[in-house]
Amino acid sequence: MIAALAGGVIGLDRTAAGQFMVSQPIVAGPLTGLILGDVMAGLLIGALLELIWVMDVPVGTFVPANQTVAAVAATAIAVIGSGGSAPLSAIGFVLLLTVAMSPLTMIVETAMRKGNARLGTSLFASSGRPAAAALSRAHLAGLALFFAKSFLLCLVLVPAGLLALEAFERLPAVFHEAMMLFVKLLPLLGVASIARKLSIRIFDRFLVGGFLLAAVLGLAFAVSPAVIILLAVAAGWMGVRFHG
Amino acid sequence: MGNNGRRVGIGVLLRVLVRAFLLQASWSFERMQSLGFAWALAPALRRLYPDDAAFDERLRYHAEYFNTQPYLASFIIGAVVRQEESRAAGNTTGDDIQALKESLMGPLGALGDSFFWGSLKPLAAVIAAAMIIVGWLWGPLLYLLLYNFWHLGLRTGLLFWGYASSGDAVALITGFNFTTWARLFKAVSLAVAGAIVGMMPLWSAEFRLEVPASAQGIALLGAASTILMLVLMRRGGSPIHLMLGLAAFCLALAYLGVIG
Repeated sequence: MIAALAGGVIGLDRTAAGQFMVSQPIVAGPLTGLILGDVMAGLLIGALLELIWVMDVPVGTFVPANQTVAAVAATAIAVIGSGGSAPLSAIGFVLLLTVAMSPLTMIVETAMRKGNARLGTSLFASSGRPAAAALSRAHLAGLALFFAKSFLLCLVLVPAGLLALEAFERLPAVFHEAMMLFVKLLPLLGVASIARKLSIRIFDRFLVGGFLLAAVLGLAFAVSPAVIILLAVAAGWMGVRFHG
Repeated sequence: MGNNGRRVGIGVLLRVLVRAFLLQASWSFERMQSLGFAWALAPALRRLYPDDAAFDERLRYHAEYFNTQPYLASFIIGAVVRQEESRAAGNTTGDDIQALKESLMGPLGALGDSFFWGSLKPLAAVIAAAMIIVGWLWGPLLYLLLYNFWHLGLRTGLLFWGYASSGDAVALITGFNFTTWARLFKAVSLAVAGAIVGMMPLWSAEFRLEVPASAQGIALLGAASTILMLVLMRRGGSPIHLMLGLAAFCLALAYLGVIG
């Protein structure tokens, strides 16, 4: 119930209110983890879902899969199902579960937005009566519907996911080892997913430049990772500024 | 109906701005952001049209159809407030306001989608995720700061810009070069994405690959795997397909005893 409430409230930021990006997996995951007592699980789940899905964006009438619900539900399943501290294998498994969650969230999101068309009907039907009150009622009812959608999705997905996680925990060790490796390789899929949308080239000069910079500085000169990231930012910036 | 040249004032503009943050609360395929647009404008329209019938007529008018990028909508909202002031004073017609809205919605929608969703969001995400992957756990906070510096700055500033310029899109595009910034953000995102792979041997314990290979070997293995996934995506593979394929690959390695 707490996870569903968190999903409902955080989910408002996704479309209906603000869009401060609190609803993005990289924030929604750790927030859920913080509420449930395991920030680390939320951080890992959120960062990976963010990298993989960041380019799945709502352009025009396209409604992407709801990664807020996926991040909140996956974190809740991992933390609650593991009794407070999720092992890497459970994190890998819930990340795999989000593959099944995504199409469902898309269907529900689309259905709700179709249903929202009814919200304005009262406004246009109430000619002769004050429009402001009808407008406020209709518009703010939409806010309640957006909350209800994420809340109900989490309310269904979390218990279902907990059953799946329970079944996974009974599987032989080989499955657990596989899911641990899965988590370790997912950042590469995230990088490929971003590069696919940001550049038309496979060997994009900025992508390759960032790789070489990090490999040389990190491995040959033992420069700290945080400094490498800063230098990669600076290198990309200067690359555009001075070489177009 | 007229208000003899009354201005809405800063207080009303701020109320409009706050309401603009709920622009999409009733988003639907049919009317998109139209109810939110009218709801955001309501304080300004109330101020300009003290007569109830005139106020209702303007609210219904603005609730007809509206859709653009939600942040850049601020510019159009500001411009429409200015135009409504002019209309209330008898200097502009409703048709002019509709024409202004229609001329701005599409271009600003495309510009905003490309800038915010297509470049700023991946930039903030890739930097924050890179920080988390190497063990710096304040990544989410950095993400929010990086993103909202631009989001809040532009969303707020554009409402006043739209109001002051009466919706002069040419002044907007020449004053703030969205395309140049977007190109810059994309390049930086790609450089950091490449750095994530290059730093693979330095990833935090949760992500670090424990294989009998040198650090250089792990970095090259990471690069080769990323390129393979990139090629598969270019040939039609979706992230969902690749996640499933990757899970199957990991299971095969574990089953064969290559890991564990």
